[in-house]
Amino acid sequence: MTPTVSASGLSLHFGRTRALDDVSLRLSPGVTGLLGPNGAGKTTLLRVLATAVPADRGAFTVLGHDPATSGGRQEVRRRLGYLPQTPGFHPDFSAFEFVDYVAILKELTDRTARHREVRRVLDEVGLGDVRGKRVKKLSGGMRQRVALAAALVGDPEFVVLDEPTVGLDPEQRMRFRELIARAGEGRTVLLSTHQTEDVAMLCHRVVVLADGAVRFDGTPAELTARAAGRVWSSAERDAGAKAGWRTGTGSFRNVGDPPAGADLLEPTLEDGYLLTLDGAGAEVTA
Amino acid sequence: MTHATTGWHVPEDDLRAYARGDLEPPALWSADTHLTACAACRAVLAGAFDPVALDAGWERLDAELDAPRPGLLESLLVRIGFADHTARLLAATPALRRSWLGAVLAVLLLTAAVAADRGGAGSPTLFLALAPLLPLAGVALSYGPGPDPTYEMAVVAPLHGFRLLMIRTVAVLAAALGLNGLATLALPGYGLRALAWLLPALALTATALALTARLGPVLAPSLVGGGWVALLLVAHTARAEDADAPLAPFTAAGQGVSAAVAALAAGLLVLLRDRFDVDRSRDV
Repeated sequence: MTPTVSASGLSLHFGRTRALDDVSLRLSPGVTGLLGPNGAGKTTLLRVLATAVPADRGAFTVLGHDPATSGGRQEVRRRLGYLPQTPGFHPDFSAFEFVDYVAILKELTDRTARHREVRRVLDEVGLGDVRGKRVKKLSGGMRQRVALAAALVGDPEFVVLDEPTVGLDPEQRMRFRELIARAGEGRTVLLSTHQTEDVAMLCHRVVVLADGAVRFDGTPAELTARAAGRVWSSAERDAGAKAGWRTGTGSFRNVGDPPAGADLLEPTLEDGYLLTLDGAGAEVTA
Repeated sequence: MTHATTGWHVPEDDLRAYARGDLEPPALWSADTHLTACAACRAVLAGAFDPVALDAGWERLDAELDAPRPGLLESLLVRIGFADHTARLLAATPALRRSWLGAVLAVLLLTAAVAADRGGAGSPTLFLALAPLLPLAGVALSYGPGPDPTYEMAVVAPLHGFRLLMIRTVAVLAAALGLNGLATLALPGYGLRALAWLLPALALTATALALTARLGPVLAPSLVGGGWVALLLVAHTARAEDADAPLAPFTAAGQGVSAAVAALAAGLLVLLRDRFDVDRSRDV
């Protein structure tokens, strides 16, 4: 199957800071999770793939269009939905007016068709009843859904979501996950997150990014399998563990190279992720 | 207000256009509102027109009913002939908000009042010095990641960034120059001398936009504004002993230089237009 996005050797520097380092990946329909610690380069990669910033080196195509050219960039943008990490809203706009505004930016100029589309996406994210309410009067979760509706307006084929579940309470997060899962049906969705639960629940594929480079690219099951035989329980934190944290039962869950005779545990996606990061910034005690 | 209180009904031509889907705002909004309340007009619509077209009309009505009514500025823009989508783009321009426009008008009237107090003697220097900075500030506050909360979404939208910039620039310039013009009317004693802000205003705005492509949306207008103030201070120092003589930028030669700078900067801006199509704010 032809991938929706095909990128090779993407690199980007901000001054002396290396934000992306030779990133290559291919994305196909479904939800792909982009995991990584803060500062890993997730947002930068998303902004490059969303055509907001050009890479210093490397190339990529979206649905066969090359965003390095002006014409190719316009074609990519016609097929793109983008939810930035901190979406901004015009303070005086209602939810409907805001999504309508983004629809106009997406060149939907026919008023009747545009309004129909705006109603459709607002209904899709469950905000049909509050479409006339000002965005600033909506809750954080609702505002995030307005931003998702704006990303989905125009039925884009490639959707980029930058940490959309940050700041949401558990109930809102679950609801948002349902919306993302639905958005991923028939589309290619790239979801940046630092929550492994998002990936476990939503993604058919996961890419782990650290220090601007791809550390893992595979299925969630393959990432989990990296921790097979490398997770164990102990009464106290094991000094030899790469990461360890106290669980609800009071015992410690350790990941790394277990000592002989250790009480091995079933690995999770989070264990595989921590081992992939190789302990850098991953030590957790609670 | 319904037909019951006004006696008004949708004209038949408008109903026909409505059924065809050709009725444009604001007449469309009037028809939408009226049809929801007026059974007589609905009956005329149902009886007189093609049922397929009518179904499409009802679908449109359904779609329009809960579309919020546009605000004052947006309605005004549509009434004076802007397409509704352009009006929505303009309504999102930070420098077209009432608070901003009110502040600009207050500053202008204040400086005009100071100048008027002199009864037309000499040159209204403070007014002329300040007036070009207001459209510059308005344009600077209308585009870019700082002032525009939706900048990040806009920059990846297929609508070219330069086109959005130009739409907003023209709107802000029209509003700011209009207000400057109104303030100028308060200075009849100075005659055409009171209009000497116009060409510097265009020159400063065009130069700032052209430099924005290279220096970003904060540094470029700041440098241009600072440069203007520095230029006026130098001109003030170099002015001959006649304190009532105009500063160099407001003389005929100075106006010529302003016109040339405006033209050059506009040309440069067009050449650099593709730089507005990606977010370069983090480059600088």
